[in-house]
Amino acid sequence: MKKLAFPGVLLLIAVMTLALAACNQFEPRDKRFYYRALWNFSLREDLAELDSEFNGVDFGHSNLYENLLLTGGQDIPAIEDRARKETLAFIASKPRINPNEEAIAPTYMKLAWRAQNTFDEAHALHRATYDIMASDEPDKDRAIRNVLTYYRESAYAITVKRLDHHRLDRFPYSSTFRTRFPLFNATIWSYHYLQVAVYDPLQAARDLAAKTQAVRPILTTYRRYLEQPPVEWTFMPLTAELSPSFAARYPEIANIFDNLHMLHDNISDILASEQLPTWDAKRTEIYRILNAYYLASADTTNPMIVKDQEHHH
Amino acid sequence: MNQPVLRAIRPLVVLLLGLWPLPSVALDHDNLDPNRPIGMEDAYAIPKGEIGMEGGVRFNDRREGRTRVTFQPQIIYGAFDNTQIEIQGDLITEPNTLVGATKSGDLHLGLLYNFNTETIDLPAFAVRVEADLPTGVNSKGVDTQMTGILTRSFGRLRAHLNAGYTILGSPQGQERPGAYRAVAAVSYPLGYPSSFRDTLIASVYTRQSDQRGQRNNTGCEIGLRHQLTSRIVLDGGLGTEFVGPSDRAALLGTVGVSVGF
Repeated sequence: MKKLAFPGVLLLIAVMTLALAACNQFEPRDKRFYYRALWNFSLREDLAELDSEFNGVDFGHSNLYENLLLTGGQDIPAIEDRARKETLAFIASKPRINPNEEAIAPTYMKLAWRAQNTFDEAHALHRATYDIMASDEPDKDRAIRNVLTYYRESAYAITVKRLDHHRLDRFPYSSTFRTRFPLFNATIWSYHYLQVAVYDPLQAARDLAAKTQAVRPILTTYRRYLEQPPVEWTFMPLTAELSPSFAARYPEIANIFDNLHMLHDNISDILASEQLPTWDAKRTEIYRILNAYYLASADTTNPMIVKDQEHHH
Repeated sequence: MNQPVLRAIRPLVVLLLGLWPLPSVALDHDNLDPNRPIGMEDAYAIPKGEIGMEGGVRFNDRREGRTRVTFQPQIIYGAFDNTQIEIQGDLITEPNTLVGATKSGDLHLGLLYNFNTETIDLPAFAVRVEADLPTGVNSKGVDTQMTGILTRSFGRLRAHLNAGYTILGSPQGQERPGAYRAVAAVSYPLGYPSSFRDTLIASVYTRQSDQRGQRNNTGCEIGLRHQLTSRIVLDGGLGTEFVGPSDRAALLGTVGVSVGF
């Protein structure tokens, strides 16, 4: 048994490896740990109210994608009513730790893991910058530049270049999601409002008490948006409009976040569009735009990079 | 359990409680590692760069013989892309009575490599290779093990298959020189959509007995992993063996903690 079984296991593994390499859906997992530092989880520990809102935001994106995928993007009550209310209920529960997104969107994760890993890396950058700003780290500027360097080392890093978001919003399927599901779209844009609007107040506040006070009006506005989604908005919030000081100081990070949020909108449109009727077609298109227009690895060929430095929104 | 066992467990319980209030996602309660809390794992390695310290105590209340208690300190490290390495050294009560590959005090080195993430068409696959160095009590020769791991999800339910083969470097007496082990398990996140802190795990397994001429140890286990804080996962599990040698487990129990940073 020993003589037969061990070579048998080796043979099985060799066959498995070859079969995997030959399969066009073979995809590495490539999870990477966040930048390790003393300020990790400072937001969670010191500004728990804001941190819990971000935990809710994590649920919202994944829950939307899973529901869009499983309902074919056609079922308005399933998205606008059920899925949106599930998200609002989760946010209202004030979660103390971020949810397990693979449990929220198991199908979507299997469909487009590469895109999810891209989100995870950018969200980790979001979290790191919040943690630094909430912490008593004496050299916040250096810490932020370190996490940016760490982020850019990832194969899943979004480009730091400013992309032409209006061109990225003119694919044949663009606007499908916001037209069909205006409430949920406005809810998503409200998340993005919260994510970028807090930077300047956090940066300006000197101590924890001041930071707590500084983010309160933003939280009030955000919660009003959740109750009455801003359906009148015609485009996603941009970092430079809501946190101009932060965007001026860290333009590369601001670009990453705006590009990230645009990618979210693109994927919502792809998942909702009947022009891409099969899961395979949706996956192919998500990966096409991700690889060609969003990842930093495409910088030398990316036609969406804005050549001048003026804002176009 | 008898009093000596309770006395043996007490220091670990104190240690676990001591760790409880540590600041807060590092180790993920949905990423399943062997013995945390039951003898199965999923096909995923911890993220590259992560360090995890895991510890637990496992008791085996046998149908014949005294209850055996195992302390399971372990360090795991996401050393490379999709690869974790592990160092472990189990300490087991009554070390002179042990047969098979597992000896008290052996230095256990392991490497898990995940080939791929799960997609719509493909399960996730991984391979684990392990070596037990003979640093323990009555231990001779280097024991080696290779395990193939598969994870496939069905909605939120995830199914896992582990199949491995162990070769003893220097079998003694009636010890079997090589033995296979197979586990089928499922895991499910409890609490959706309002809570994401708990994962329930259940398994059935069979493995060749440690000594020749005996029936396979065959049993089942059930466990729970609970995300206490961003950095800490607690686990607990129970099991029993319903077929096997006369000294097979009547009741297996595990409590443990994992801290990631």
